[in-house]
Amino acid sequence: MNDVIQIWQFAIPIALAAVGEVVSQRSGVLNIGLEGTMLGGAFVAAYVGLTTGQPWLGLTAGIVVGLLASLLQAWFVLVRAADQVVAGTAINLLALGVTGTLFRKAFGESGQLLSVPTLPKFDGLDAVMLATPIIAVLAAASLRRTGWGLLTRASGEYPTAVEAEGFSVRRLRLGAMAIGGALAGAAGAYLSVGIVGSFAENMTQGRGFVAIALVTFGRWHPIAAVGAGFLMGGLEWLQFKLQAQGGGQIPFQLLLALPYLAALAVLVVGAKGTRGPAALGQPLQRDA
Amino acid sequence: MRAFTLIGTAMAALILAGCTGGAKEPTSTTETPTTGQTADFKVALLTPGPVSDAGWSAMAYDGLKAIERDMGAEINNQEAKDTQIKDAMRSYAQKGYRLVFGHGFEYNEPAIEVAKDFPNTIFVSSSGGQTADNVGAFRFYLEQGFYLAGYMAGLSSKSGKVATIGGDDVPSIRSTFKAFKAGAEAAKPGITVIEVFTGSGQDIAKAKQATLGAISEGADFVIHQANAAAQGVFDACKERGVWAFGANLNQNDNPSGVVVASATIVAGPAFLNLAKSVKDGTFKGGIALMGMDQGAIDFVVNPALQDKLSPEVVTAVEETRAKILSGELTVAKDEF
Repeated sequence: MNDVIQIWQFAIPIALAAVGEVVSQRSGVLNIGLEGTMLGGAFVAAYVGLTTGQPWLGLTAGIVVGLLASLLQAWFVLVRAADQVVAGTAINLLALGVTGTLFRKAFGESGQLLSVPTLPKFDGLDAVMLATPIIAVLAAASLRRTGWGLLTRASGEYPTAVEAEGFSVRRLRLGAMAIGGALAGAAGAYLSVGIVGSFAENMTQGRGFVAIALVTFGRWHPIAAVGAGFLMGGLEWLQFKLQAQGGGQIPFQLLLALPYLAALAVLVVGAKGTRGPAALGQPLQRDA
Repeated sequence: MRAFTLIGTAMAALILAGCTGGAKEPTSTTETPTTGQTADFKVALLTPGPVSDAGWSAMAYDGLKAIERDMGAEINNQEAKDTQIKDAMRSYAQKGYRLVFGHGFEYNEPAIEVAKDFPNTIFVSSSGGQTADNVGAFRFYLEQGFYLAGYMAGLSSKSGKVATIGGDDVPSIRSTFKAFKAGAEAAKPGITVIEVFTGSGQDIAKAKQATLGAISEGADFVIHQANAAAQGVFDACKERGVWAFGANLNQNDNPSGVVVASATIVAGPAFLNLAKSVKDGTFKGGIALMGMDQGAIDFVVNPALQDKLSPEVVTAVEETRAKILSGELTVAKDEF
């Protein structure tokens, strides 16, 4: 049981970010900037948590950073109709540079091992761990059952039809991106004030990209994406256990790659017949 | 097909992200047109990771700052890995830097090659085996500190299991872990030494998870080489009530309160002496082994936690330290 709780906790950042990315992608926006958004959330959460002593304030600040990052990106991809991958990459590089510079400004050029208070836990569980499945179910239900969900999905499939019906694709996509940004900010913040209670430069180490992979893995379904995240987390814990048990002479690099190899295998075997949103990644150009 | 394009772009982004971590130092050089023979004494540092890692790279940066402070030298630093190394070395040499220090064994070979073209610049790397007239190497004998940590862990462990948690898999880290293991086995033959690597010196969450994995297998003393991710190791130890050792820098005062001792590199004086010998022209290429006898390596027991260790253990560790200092005991160090 303890192992399960622990796997769950370490899987939260990728799972939570993946739920937001599902919503964003269903509306037609691919957010490559997830990694940078998470890193920004992680830094600000750690900084606020450390200076105020309140991990909850840190988490909130992380969510705000996520929202701001998604607004910046929305300006690029919705207003300027820029290439989504390029805009997302810009966010990643920006976040890496800004968090690194601010970290050194705040804690010295040679850095410090920060110790930030973490969210309170009850029986090994904290609020974010409980909230993540609820958020996934809510996202799935809203996408499937509500008018907003229908319109959002339509923006990702056939945006011109949505416009023809008199709805604003821009507004719908902005809403979906805001959800994605807020969840990514929360995911990054949880990494720093939920799991480790610390910050290091570039500490997200590719988790944003893993979350993007989980979306495809989970076939653009929020609950399936969370399940896939949990599976990845389980394999990661398994490989650390194997390493600790001596690894049977298997090189640790191979063990480290285990979760990714498994994900790749599932994609190859299971992805037959799945199809992403048809208008994913395409900016909507209004003629008039 | 589209998905592949997206994944490809994501990978490109990742690689890009990996390359742009450092080089944020402002370059304000008042250049003189001729190479070498500049009036100012200029010193550059290349590190394998960000200098804000509170560990290996941070220690070199502190040494560089000491050179700036005490000698009034003009300094500059950047992160350089793999193919970036030679370019960085050349550009510093062209700008008239007298000393270019590469903090790792991987800077030794490029130095040999680049140094031929820049006889007025001295290239020194931490570790590495090749030398020339203007190329040298420091070899920090951190293995001595790790041996003592292993010895202390071996004597104190109740479970008969201790652990080493590594970030990046590089020869210098492997070598220190071997020394830790040798120390633990010397103290308690047949002891199990668990070894886990995370593949990253910046991933705090993985460092924590790796440590939890080692502890769940029974380890009750943990040493790390995780640099900026070390807090994850200490947090895991605190959560499970086991003891940890600090590495590279003195981490005894870590807020986790679990660091019983640290195996440290005291790099400041070594860097200063090197810079002075370069400045007054007395530097000769060659390999210097910087160990406990020069005061470059230390093993510092945390006074606040000394009562958690039995007095016999502390005495035994001090006796072993004396043996290392007198040369009676030689700690093995890998060649790299």
